[in-house]
Amino acid sequence: MQEFLQQVVSGLATGGIFASLALALVLIYNAMGLVNFAQGEMAMFATFIALVLIDHGLSYWIALPLTLVIAFAGGVVIQRVVIRPVERAPVLTLVIVTLGLATLVNGMAGFLFGYVPRSFPTPFSASTVNILGALASYQDLGVIAVSGVVLVLIYLLLQRTTLGLALRAASHHPDASRLLGIRVSWMLALGWGLASAVGAVSGMLAAPILLLQPNMMQTVIIYAFAAAVLGGIESPLGAVVGGLIVGVTVNLAGAYVPGVGGDLQLAVAFAIIIAVLIVKPNGLFGTASLRRV
Amino acid sequence: MTSLLELEGVRAGYGQTRVLHGISMSVGDGDIVSLLGANGAGKTTTLRAITGGVRWDGSITFGGHSLRHLTTEDIVRLGVAHVPEGRGVLTELTVDENLRVGAYLRHDKAAIARDYDRVFELFPILRERRRLSASTLSGGEQQMLSLARALVMRPKLLLLDEPSLGLAPLVVRRIFEVIREINQTERVAILLVEQNARIALELSTQAYVLEVGRVAVEGPSSQLKGEESVRRSYLGY
Amino acid sequence: MRRLQQSPARYALLVVALILFVGLPTVVTSFQSAEWTQVLIFAVAIMGLNILVGYSGQISLGHGAFMALGAYTTAILVHRYNVDYLATIPIAGLLTGIVGFFLGIPALRLSALYLALATFALAVITPSLIKRPEQLTGGVRGIEILPPQPPDFANSAFTAVTGGPAMTSDQWLYYVCLVIALVLFWLAWNLVRRRPGRALRAIRDGEVAAAAFGVNIAGYKTLAFGISAFYAGIAGSLYGLTIGFVSPDTFPVALSIQILVGAVIGGLASVPGPVLGGIVTFWLPIVSNQFVGSQDWIPAQVASVFKNAGPAVSYGALLILIMIFAPRGLFGLIVSAYTWLQRRVRGAAERGTGHAPPDPQTV
Repeated sequence: MQEFLQQVVSGLATGGIFASLALALVLIYNAMGLVNFAQGEMAMFATFIALVLIDHGLSYWIALPLTLVIAFAGGVVIQRVVIRPVERAPVLTLVIVTLGLATLVNGMAGFLFGYVPRSFPTPFSASTVNILGALASYQDLGVIAVSGVVLVLIYLLLQRTTLGLALRAASHHPDASRLLGIRVSWMLALGWGLASAVGAVSGMLAAPILLLQPNMMQTVIIYAFAAAVLGGIESPLGAVVGGLIVGVTVNLAGAYVPGVGGDLQLAVAFAIIIAVLIVKPNGLFGTASLRRV
Repeated sequence: MTSLLELEGVRAGYGQTRVLHGISMSVGDGDIVSLLGANGAGKTTTLRAITGGVRWDGSITFGGHSLRHLTTEDIVRLGVAHVPEGRGVLTELTVDENLRVGAYLRHDKAAIARDYDRVFELFPILRERRRLSASTLSGGEQQMLSLARALVMRPKLLLLDEPSLGLAPLVVRRIFEVIREINQTERVAILLVEQNARIALELSTQAYVLEVGRVAVEGPSSQLKGEESVRRSYLGY
Repeated sequence: MRRLQQSPARYALLVVALILFVGLPTVVTSFQSAEWTQVLIFAVAIMGLNILVGYSGQISLGHGAFMALGAYTTAILVHRYNVDYLATIPIAGLLTGIVGFFLGIPALRLSALYLALATFALAVITPSLIKRPEQLTGGVRGIEILPPQPPDFANSAFTAVTGGPAMTSDQWLYYVCLVIALVLFWLAWNLVRRRPGRALRAIRDGEVAAAAFGVNIAGYKTLAFGISAFYAGIAGSLYGLTIGFVSPDTFPVALSIQILVGAVIGGLASVPGPVLGGIVTFWLPIVSNQFVGSQDWIPAQVASVFKNAGPAVSYGALLILIMIFAPRGLFGLIVSAYTWLQRRVRGAAERGTGHAPPDPQTV
């Protein structure tokens, strides 16, 4: 039982990482009906920037918010430069552009930072604390706490501020929003900036565990896809819940199902994606949308 | 004295298709002007041209400013509110949120609160359905919502595209009562596109009748109402 | 044939291209022939993806997985069961095609975006899926395939033409791939021109309307998946034969992306596009590496990192630029340039008579 609880806590921690990246995906999906295949690579790149800042002497707790700001700016720039020219193009074009972006960012990271895996500091100690008779590491609890805080902040921003309101309006109803004076194009840029910042959190939480190298997020994004699909691709709440469920499921599968080792856990995520898409394509919290003719 | 809104020789279209072939019209401060005509005459296109939803040639000025190179958002910020065909209700948001978006450009909290109260007085059903998704409203209620939202914007000019479309006569009555009231108390100028010519002429002081992208008849509404030949050929009754 | 004759320029280009490809191994080294073999293989895989993406409008980011299936089929049959390597090629193709067809069935239920997502995930886990059944696939160690020797008739013909040394395995494989590529392209061209092609395009451009016209949407879409997988399976089989070795690492996500890049850059929904795509996809990293290596002002460490990162950067940037500025790919650019030239020439000639130039033929 104790071990089971430990696995669950661990699963919640990895789930927090997935949830953050899934939330980034959902933010952009809500903004443009597009899954950003480059989200993981952007997160990885931001994490490298964080490492550069830390290597230059900044403390972790200063580098973190600074990185988020830089990631935000980067997201805005990408939307303005790369996405805006093809905004009205068909889905396939947009998918290809984000794939191109993913390839480009991955290559740039390799070019600038090399392919040797680097260790990434974590502010949480590795020691454990006793909860309900189970041992949980501060690392895991810290990850759960940080991702929790980020998710709550995004929720408050979207649901309780005027800016968040304008962002939601612009995402779902761009034409009507323009007629209300909302600068829709800039709202999209804001959406990308936010998504990029949230993704950066995911990267910075994943790096201590996975070791930072350009291909670090390639598996994480698959888990994030599974989380977003499971939760309902339009639902921020779904992303969070989905992330936690995927994290715990994958962890438990790895611990208790024989034969499911490191790389096959990914196949579990894939199976989740396929199962959800076949059985309940809208996910747990999504709503069915009308087919546009 | 220049009017609040002036159109001169406006040509507009979609791609290769030219819809407006030189429209000239004006709306004065606090006036109600109706824009009438059959389907396809170009009424909606005229409204779209004003708020920058379609490319146009010619001259459009609002309060003396040319609207030539302005984006929709900028035109709205000058004081134009446009309730489009289909009402533009933000169905993904709640009724309350729809109204809040109406106040997006304003910063005077006290006045905004008073406007909300005013709006709920005019349309009590909206207060009842405040927390519900706007998609749960009926057609008439959505029209009320978009009108209410336009009010909260405190515009100088209100463009209304077929507010009576698809609504029951009683609902239409109520809506037009509110429109008249807004115009009288807030001095909001109104450009009203309508297929229901009868009710539009009752409400407006001035009217323009479009036919295939040109102004066929213009004049005081009282005059058009009375002239039988105009009524029969252009307004269908 | 008639359409070709109506446009002599295109006919001539085709003949010239054919001569170039057939004659290639006689004038370049064996190693270079092997490089161009890869171009042909890519072209076949890209043509397969093109049928799915360009013509039926379904996105697949997982064609690397199909190639892996084809490659491993050939490898296992040759290595373990001693099947004649030439016979394994159609077997690999058919097997992959059938799998693709059956995968196309659940794919029907997925919207474009979800399909992209699902196939992307498939591409990512393909190496893991290959590693697991170690008995069959040799796990991480992979399977080796001995290079086949040219048969006598080919050898005699080749040495007669070149008057040189005996035909190498690479050169023989080049011709095998060329023949297969020609057959498959001819097949694709016919498919596209006739009813299946029209049906697919109707589906791509508007499913609801196509259904209203009585097109069997489900049938054609799954068929497209199957045919597309068939091409990828054959490409994979040839890939395994020409490289001589298959392992899980031979089929990373990057391969699926490469095929997509090739399809897009070459020009979706065109038959010559995949050939252009194959050329660009294969040569771009090599050319850019050589270019960077030859520039004195670029320091050595940068150049060596560029070798690893360069392809990704150039692919990514190229993909983005093409989608923004030339969404119909290189072939689309060529067609546009040709049309523009035609109009200028004809326009000048016919300005006097006042005739409008006729619309150019489209593929």
